[in-house]
Amino acid sequence: MAVPGFEGFEKRLELHFSGYDPLGLRRLSIDDLQQVLDAVQCSIVSAAGNHSFDAYVLSESSLFLYPHKIILKTCGTTQLLRSIPSLLRHAADLGLRLRSCRYSRGSFIFPAAQPFPHTSFSDEVLFLDARLPATLRFRKASIMPSDASLHSWHVYSAAADLFSVLQPSSSTIEVCMTELDCSLARQFYRRNGDHRSGDDAGAEMTELTGIGGINPRALVCGFAFEPCGYSMNGLDRDRYSTIHVTPEDGHSYASFECIGGREVMDYLKKVVHVFRPGAVSVCMGVTGTDDDEERVRSAVVRALEPLGLSCRSRAAEDFPGAGTVTYQTFTAHRK
Amino acid sequence: MGCVGFVDRRTLNRGRRARDQPRKGDRAMAEEGAVIACHSVDEWSQQLEQGNESKKLVVIDFTASWCGPCRMMAPIFSELAKKFPGVLFLKVDVDELKTVAQDWAIEAMPTFVFLKEGTIVDKLVGAHKDDLPKKVELHMPK
Repeated sequence: MAVPGFEGFEKRLELHFSGYDPLGLRRLSIDDLQQVLDAVQCSIVSAAGNHSFDAYVLSESSLFLYPHKIILKTCGTTQLLRSIPSLLRHAADLGLRLRSCRYSRGSFIFPAAQPFPHTSFSDEVLFLDARLPATLRFRKASIMPSDASLHSWHVYSAAADLFSVLQPSSSTIEVCMTELDCSLARQFYRRNGDHRSGDDAGAEMTELTGIGGINPRALVCGFAFEPCGYSMNGLDRDRYSTIHVTPEDGHSYASFECIGGREVMDYLKKVVHVFRPGAVSVCMGVTGTDDDEERVRSAVVRALEPLGLSCRSRAAEDFPGAGTVTYQTFTAHRK
Repeated sequence: MGCVGFVDRRTLNRGRRARDQPRKGDRAMAEEGAVIACHSVDEWSQQLEQGNESKKLVVIDFTASWCGPCRMMAPIFSELAKKFPGVLFLKVDVDELKTVAQDWAIEAMPTFVFLKEGTIVDKLVGAHKDDLPKKVELHMPK
């Protein structure tokens, strides 16, 4: 059996808290943060903060810390869920109460290479159920569109209340792209003899690839890995964005995620333009009515069809206390 | 070299001393190779003026107490100050000196600004453990 390549598909964990302290999670010391990341087996590469949140580029993806919300996204063979016990402990020490948890991921390219508890979705669900407090009474786990599909979106949610903690009129978009255009993917390789820092080389990649133009308002912290690979976090007021690239042919992968309003569809188009992938999946986290859900799905189709991408599957599900998730997969008409 | 008192600072800066020697009697040079935190606009202006006149490299850390990445870089900034006593390391808290932070258009933290004789020669936004020391060495007077 061939040696598995680097797994680009990320595992994503989002926790919401409530508390009286306006700084909340931002009070976490670097030592405490590093302790949480040690459990996951990743480390901080670079970081930046603004008035709304702190953003960390990690050795395997990203971490976003808002006062009452944490988003941790890691790829490769990291054990993301192992961060939960120490995260909950530190949050409790800060006087914060956990309100909801959402864990999600796509389908691994190399599932057999994943360590426990990421060996299967049922293992992950059992692990989560055991480690989240009983106060999170409303729980749901689902594979969209179905566990029989090649490309699925796995979601687990647990919430203390039925009303959603998501902000109205803003949605989270997560785009997973595979079969990247080879010549475009090659831009994410370090050149031989380039001894610049990962930050400097990353800044150049941000500009040359067009990633910097996706949202010109955002401060972008890009990092170029050796011998290839790229990560960036974007900060634009209270909105984060993040891109991670595994450019190797055969298992190339790129992800884009951000939170925003209508402009998110614009970003989606630009991102697809940067990578020209053969396959794309778009997952949106929305709050609101069924109308919104249909509107969102149509908007995604309208954004991607002109770029030569056809919708192959669509699904939507409500997660009690955690909003509605829509999931659509697309493939390019011609590779 | 004894207490200097109210001597005109310009005569002190005539290059009589070897590079990197701290001058006793300089304002706020209480500790050799320490980061100088500016707590008022006056203090800030004075430090800048002193730095510009001395032709030293001035490195400013615009920081915020509520920003994790700033806390991450604080010990590194202090270490650099110890290692390079000939460079002026200043710290500005963006809440304490709001107008200064606005004047310098600080949006994300930490932001490190590198000044030489009043001109910005470089800027580094974010916590980059390896890049900051490299930039200090790059811009230091040779």
